[in-house]
Amino acid sequence: MPAEQAAMTGAERELAKLLVNVLQLEGRDPAAIDPQAPLFGAPGNGWGLDSIDALEIALALQQNYGVILRSEDEATRRAFGSLRALADHVRQHGGATAAPSG
Amino acid sequence: MNTVPLIVGYRPQAPLLYTDAGAVSQAAFLAQAGRVAAALPESRYVLNLCESRRNFALGFAAALMRGQASLLPPDRVAATVAAIRQSYGDSHVLADADVEAALRGIAEASAWMGEPPAVPCGQLAALPFTSGSTGAPVPHEKTWGGLVTHAALLSERLGFAGAHIAATVPPQHTYGLETSVIAALAGGAAVHCARPFFPQDLDGVLRALPSPRLLVTTPVHLRALVQAQPPLPPLARIISATAPLPAGLAAEAEQRLGTAVYEIYGSTESGAVATRRTVDGELWQPLPGVNLRADPGGALATGPHLAGTVRLADIIEEAADGHVRLLGRSGDMLKVAGKRMSLAELNRLLLAIPGVEDGVVFMPGMTGGGEAVERPAAVVVAPELSERQILDALRRSVDPAFLPRPLRRVAGLPRNAVGKVPRAALLELMRG
Repeated sequence: MPAEQAAMTGAERELAKLLVNVLQLEGRDPAAIDPQAPLFGAPGNGWGLDSIDALEIALALQQNYGVILRSEDEATRRAFGSLRALADHVRQHGGATAAPSG
Repeated sequence: MNTVPLIVGYRPQAPLLYTDAGAVSQAAFLAQAGRVAAALPESRYVLNLCESRRNFALGFAAALMRGQASLLPPDRVAATVAAIRQSYGDSHVLADADVEAALRGIAEASAWMGEPPAVPCGQLAALPFTSGSTGAPVPHEKTWGGLVTHAALLSERLGFAGAHIAATVPPQHTYGLETSVIAALAGGAAVHCARPFFPQDLDGVLRALPSPRLLVTTPVHLRALVQAQPPLPPLARIISATAPLPAGLAAEAEQRLGTAVYEIYGSTESGAVATRRTVDGELWQPLPGVNLRADPGGALATGPHLAGTVRLADIIEEAADGHVRLLGRSGDMLKVAGKRMSLAELNRLLLAIPGVEDGVVFMPGMTGGGEAVERPAAVVVAPELSERQILDALRRSVDPAFLPRPLRRVAGLPRNAVGKVPRAALLELMRG
């Protein structure tokens, strides 16, 4: 018995809309997305995104939420796990404009 | 027998690689490669799957020390790797863990003694693969002598000697191999082993390198870099390849990043054969000694690094002084993120999915040159399947870069008298 699809929070819905828009996933209903589904590569109920999408997502998060992603961060790996994890990451790191390093 | 040293212009103390742990001198690199070489099983080929650029370079050099050739798969899709292993039975897989195991316990100060190993010019060194029109990976043989000759040409044009290179591209791809591995072994450059992915990764990687710094990248990464505008140290030059770089993006990158942006034109078969500074115009200048000629259905390349005439899948027009203009790709090869696949093959795989009754994959070509990536789109007749199910089925045999986006289900295709779906009708269907 598959797990019940989890309900989306407002922030997750907003992020889902942003992703569907910037990744040109036309035909996908942001409201019907499982917030716990894997974002990358996985078949089944995942989003099936690839590395070009990861770049687009990073740009969109920076431009819309001021969130900076770095690939050596374990936090980035976790954030890309699912829509929910990404929304959590934005909640924790959003708003704070990254200080230029040097 | 003619030979060329494994490191050309050997200077034992000079850095060859930069890692997070600091610089690796040429002598230390050879000592480490020697350890990896000793651990390689007896075989003719090494399937080098190392994701770390350092491990890849060590595995590549170790293979040359042992007289083995490196097989470089175009992607990591399991079916691709399996197909290559089947064609090359006398091969073994080298992954990051294998290199790290071979290096375990090596003294930090280990340095190669004496001259670098001499490698026969005719030694088969690298076999990058492309996706052929039937979908099976097609190998392209590169000898050590050819790679070294080519490195000198590319280095002369793009100033590799004495430069410090950071690359966003993987070393298994011909472009990445030439600019981030061979450039170090035979072109006089030192290379950072990181593979910075997000724009914000680049600052730290570039800052770890002394000046002059070169960034080897792709239109996709360059566009992200221009938009994100992270802080960056001065760049001597940016080099882009794998897809056409929109002129506006090149101009913006030059202005915002305060550097010169060059493009490389080439193919897996020929290696890089021409360059241009994108803002200077549409003409490409062949590398020294390279000749490019228009030919029905494509182009022909000759050059000091090539054993014979190589056919290119692009339509070119010859201009003055041997320069050429690129008019587009011939045939139906798709190119996304540096990977290639035939449109006909993608269409065949789509139609082979149980439940798919009809369908057409095509390039919508609506991005107007401003976008760095264009993906194939598809319209499909499959009453019993969801779009998700169709994509999941395709994903089993197709690299994610080529999954049609969007993929739209329709009730039927408006095929014309000769059975083709007019392009205008396809675009109309996509609009819904």
